[in-house]
Amino acid sequence: MALPICLSIAAVLFALGLYGVISQTNLVMIMMGVELMLAAAMLNLVAFWRLLHPHTYTLQMFVLVVMTVMALEAAVGFALATQRFRSRGSVEVEEAADLKEEGV
Amino acid sequence: MNALQLFFLAGFGLAAVWFGWRVFRTHSMVRSAMSLLACMVALGAMFLVLQAEFLGVLQIMMMAAEMSIMAFFMMMFMMDPGGLGNMNMTHQQKPATALSAAVAALLLALLLSTNWPAPLAQVPTATQQNHDLGIELMTRSMMIFETAGTTILVAMIAAAATALVYPPQPD
Repeated sequence: MALPICLSIAAVLFALGLYGVISQTNLVMIMMGVELMLAAAMLNLVAFWRLLHPHTYTLQMFVLVVMTVMALEAAVGFALATQRFRSRGSVEVEEAADLKEEGV
Repeated sequence: MNALQLFFLAGFGLAAVWFGWRVFRTHSMVRSAMSLLACMVALGAMFLVLQAEFLGVLQIMMMAAEMSIMAFFMMMFMMDPGGLGNMNMTHQQKPATALSAAVAALLLALLLSTNWPAPLAQVPTATQQNHDLGIELMTRSMMIFETAGTTILVAMIAAAATALVYPPQPD
């Protein structure tokens, strides 16, 4: 019973993150959607570790790797947002097309 | 797992889903960041219920720091951080809703129709877990662990290099 509960919650969280990534226009809000999707992946890994393979620590190690990915996604995303805000005064992704080369 | 653990697992899971939903429904950007923090803390609590103590505490501490930084960025970069102007920052909502609902339905159908093996009742104690995870990280998975560390370092350098003003401006 516990495994379907965890996986269902992870599936819904993943879908919520996907909704955020597709529907938001703000770069920081899109990053929030990505974080939700990665959090769903972490929940799956922890549930599989606890309920199916509690003596296999590779799954816990992968959770640490996903946490690392979340941290670097935030760091690089915020850096891009900072630079974008400096150059254009906005972090709306719909306005990011003006970085495109003329005639492309 | 006993009934009490299942109750808390489902309770924290529903809280995580609720706060995850609130992230994209509020007009205040700071509230969005705080909702995401609450969602991540609920997930950390689920990890604790699943007896992954190290990962649960790590998740709560790391996300508290990350979402606090995110809230600051929200206040700096948003046109309307308090959400009083009722501004709209969404586009293509219908396709996004349809696609995410389809993905959720597909994933739920897959996992509910799968014949999962019976869960194992016993897990190592928290002390044993920390010991075994440390051994795993320093032996068999060392290269992957080192790669994660190097990736973080590269991300820090990339973030600093991207955010710098170039050419340097005089004060």
